[in-house]
Amino acid sequence: MAPASSMEKIKEFLNSQIYDDDKWAVNSKLLGAAGLFAGSILFMRNFGDLMAI
Amino acid sequence: MGSSVSHAATLPPPPPPPPAVGLTGVLPPKTEEKGETKVDWLNLPCPVPFEEIQREALMSLKPELFEGLRFDFTKGLNQKFSLSHSVFMGSMEVPSQSSDTIKVPTAHYEFGANFLDPKLMLVGRVLTDGRLNARVKCDLTDNLTLKINAQLTNEPHFSQGMFNFDYKGKDYRSQFQVGNNAFYGANYIQSVSPHLSLGSEVFWLGHQRKSGIGFAARYNTDKMVATGQVASTGIVALSYVQKVSEKVSLASDFMYNHMTRDVTSSFGYDYILRQCRLRGKIDSTGCVAAYLEERLNMGVNFILSAEIDHRKKDYKFGFGMTVGE
Repeated sequence: MAPASSMEKIKEFLNSQIYDDDKWAVNSKLLGAAGLFAGSILFMRNFGDLMAI
Repeated sequence: MGSSVSHAATLPPPPPPPPAVGLTGVLPPKTEEKGETKVDWLNLPCPVPFEEIQREALMSLKPELFEGLRFDFTKGLNQKFSLSHSVFMGSMEVPSQSSDTIKVPTAHYEFGANFLDPKLMLVGRVLTDGRLNARVKCDLTDNLTLKINAQLTNEPHFSQGMFNFDYKGKDYRSQFQVGNNAFYGANYIQSVSPHLSLGSEVFWLGHQRKSGIGFAARYNTDKMVATGQVASTGIVALSYVQKVSEKVSLASDFMYNHMTRDVTSSFGYDYILRQCRLRGKIDSTGCVAAYLEERLNMGVNFILSAEIDHRKKDYKFGFGMTVGE
């Protein structure tokens, strides 16, 4: 086989993480938690004043 | 200028400023925008202790949620000494390997004594199930503090004790820990700028021949605190707290455990008002929790705690009362 280019290596890595059931269970939790963390930081910095009394 | 100087020695008054030309007469004068003061690198503030690096986030996001009834009574006998009585009746969760939660109905009474001095603090608690908790905090010198934590039980091999020696320097803090099971630990935190402090810790667990190293960073300004911690035990912990106003804080944290592949993130609020303190949070697991402490009267607080996990069908509601300071 021809040596895999870096783009193909990345695609191979992503596919192995997404299409494998066990890994996807962990990765979906990781994405959800990271999304909640980043989203809450953006919310706090930009709209935090809405929650002030 | 009140000094008595003869008229001959006073300087002539400065000439009047030239008349403003064009836009300079219309726009407000330009203020110095490049930071008010130069950073004094030799006089950086002392950082928070390493174990308290995430204290704002912990205070807002981790109230002591409970299920059942809780009643605490603290009676001060004099300025330094007080006794406390606590009753708890409810379910406590037992950590289990499977995903089901195991709840054990528990009831206990806890008697405690506290001695508080500026230089010495002694706290002892004894429970009806035979456990004893003791804490000592002693200021040996202005900069050196000794802390002792002990939990003694009837069951053999379950007692724990830890000695901590804390040294506070001008812009750094260091701590050395010795515990049972041949536990040795040390940590060090240094202010590297007026807002940023970096720290690291190492530990060695003799009985299990385990060692670990961790790094932490904390960036804080008047309005926000951001911290990050990484440990060789495979834990990554990040937190961010935004102080929206004097009474309101919003906090968020993220924890990843590589060994157990466990990821948790939560977002919460903390309202500190005159008559009550309300904390609530939502988790990435879909768990919603709230904790309310309402001041009914001088020294009398009413507590409500709730934690709802729809996914696991685990509903925990608790109420209680605290009497005394």
